[in-house]
Amino acid sequence: MVEVIGLTKLYGENRAIHDVSFKVNRGEVVGFLGPNGAGKSTTMRIITGAMAPTEGIARVDGIDVFENPVAVKRKIGYLPETPPVYMDMRVRDYLLYVAELKGVPKADLKKNVSYALERTQLTQVEKRLIGNLSKGFRQRVGIAQALVSNPEVLILDEPTVGLDPRQVAEIRSLIQELRGQHTIILSTHILSEVEATCQRVIIIHKGKIVAEDSLENLTKLKSGTNKAIVRVREVERAQKVLEEFAPGVKVRKGRLSDEFEISFAGQTSGHVMDDLAQFIIKNNLGIVELRLAHANLEEVFLSLTYGSKSSDQLSNSVNHVEEVTL
Amino acid sequence: MRGALVIFKKEMKAFLSSPNFLLVCGLMVTILSWVFPNALKMFEIQIRSAMFSGGFNNQSMNIHYGLFLRHLSYLNLILIFVVPALTMRLFSEEKKLKTFDLLLTSPITSYEIVLGKMMAALGAVLFVMLLSAIYPVSMAFFADFNWGTLLVAYFGIFLVASVYTAMDLFCSSLTESGIVAYVMAVIMNVFIWFVGMGVDIVDSSTARAIFEHISLSQHLSSLVEGTVRTTGIVYFLSLVFLFGFLNERVVESARWR
Ligand SMILES: Nc1ncnc2c1ncn2[C@@H]1O[C@H](COP(=O)(O)OP(=O)(O)OP(=O)(O)O)[C@@H](O)[C@H]1O
Ligand SMILES: [Mg+2]
Repeated sequence: MVEVIGLTKLYGENRAIHDVSFKVNRGEVVGFLGPNGAGKSTTMRIITGAMAPTEGIARVDGIDVFENPVAVKRKIGYLPETPPVYMDMRVRDYLLYVAELKGVPKADLKKNVSYALERTQLTQVEKRLIGNLSKGFRQRVGIAQALVSNPEVLILDEPTVGLDPRQVAEIRSLIQELRGQHTIILSTHILSEVEATCQRVIIIHKGKIVAEDSLENLTKLKSGTNKAIVRVREVERAQKVLEEFAPGVKVRKGRLSDEFEISFAGQTSGHVMDDLAQFIIKNNLGIVELRLAHANLEEVFLSLTYGSKSSDQLSNSVNHVEEVTL
Repeated sequence: MRGALVIFKKEMKAFLSSPNFLLVCGLMVTILSWVFPNALKMFEIQIRSAMFSGGFNNQSMNIHYGLFLRHLSYLNLILIFVVPALTMRLFSEEKKLKTFDLLLTSPITSYEIVLGKMMAALGAVLFVMLLSAIYPVSMAFFADFNWGTLLVAYFGIFLVASVYTAMDLFCSSLTESGIVAYVMAVIMNVFIWFVGMGVDIVDSSTARAIFEHISLSQHLSSLVEGTVRTTGIVYFLSLVFLFGFLNERVVESARWR
């Protein structure tokens, strides 16, 4: 449905993306994952025809974006990085305007607007001025705007940025519901967002695609992490006791005062968390929290680009990126 | 064309519901309410003195020349500053607030974008001009005059205002800042009156002919006197098209940066 071949974009001397190629099938939800400045937004702007590439081809449904931009744009709903909303318009009027711009037939205008309002739960604020809405609500208006023409392809640039956790969950489930009816490409720098919504992930780093894989493979990559985070009440004793859990275990102070990060040596068995829990209880450390340390985006990148060694070194400092960005 | 109409409709609504637009209209009406009675008074004094001296064949004794043309030149002066105020946000604000992406990714061409904005700006200008027409039209209560001449003169000013609109809209497309767009636009509006000054300073007759042809005031003068000449209309329209075309190029170039 969406095909990109050898895209390169130069901003003056600065190369934003370099030889990016990928393909997205009809009805698929693909996550476009990468850290800040990776080139996600640039790629998306090129696919939507907002910007021309320096080199390369982008096709949507077999139509070249630059040979027949109008036909392509009819098929695309796009949420840019900054929601393109007019502060002095009311939510409903704005959506009507966008629907008309996108060439929705007159008879369907009302229906489509109501649909978009309902899907993004904006019906209560439909008469409000967009300028008076909070940032999260404006983001939702941006999502509604992408949905309003009922496009075949949805391109969402960081759709959940600025939303509260409940909204994030709702938008994610919305995306899952849309799977199958629409082809969706969404960009994010949050790993768990990809897990929650996407079937496939394209990882981009410094303008190049470093991995393009199904979600299972990505999860496999994650299961390689052999670290647990534990929080206990008996902080003084904990360090020493925990080191005795198994041979070769390393214990480090975590981010919080009562938090410890336990790295197991080598490959661990499936029961390691059971064992660890029992061990802590047996030693009366007073368990507060116990969880596996999630691999974060940085680790995934590093393991993809430089192998897992350097990921260990870096992991301590950036282990919590994921939660922080959420 | 569909896209242009959608944009026109949206911008026209935005104008009519915008407090700033109403403020601009209000200010213009205030100024005209001050200067029009003054012009009327001057006209009256002229007629009175002419009555005593007994010479009525003077052209300035005609209400069109003695009053309406003075009114129109005030209007023109006001438009030099008002048109940029109407056009300044049309492109620059879209760029600043990143709503331009919405237009660039909608199934419409850049011609439609420019056309829609231009039509909306012209609509607003027309609205302003209709407001200003209240003053001469109200004279119909007191005097009989030639409506055709007045209409043609107004049409002439509208053509000049269309040139302002096209130029000022172009200025707006060049920058993200409304203020910069406004200043640029005023400078261009003023400058275009000085281009024709070349007539007086060059010696060669061909150069003089060229300057005569590109001088705004030369083309306007026949119109305000009530004569429609095709060359004049062609001249104004070609300026509008020229700046419309440049504007389209700028919009299109946004994709190539
Ligand atoms: N208009 C521009 N002019 C010059 N350089 C730009 C421009 N836009 C982006 N860049 C550069 O291109 C690179 C890719 O930017 P892009 O916005 O695509 O990243 P991103 O993956 O969307 O990042 P983020 O997660 O922060 O949104 C960056 O290095 C950025 O500095
Ligand atoms: Mg981005």
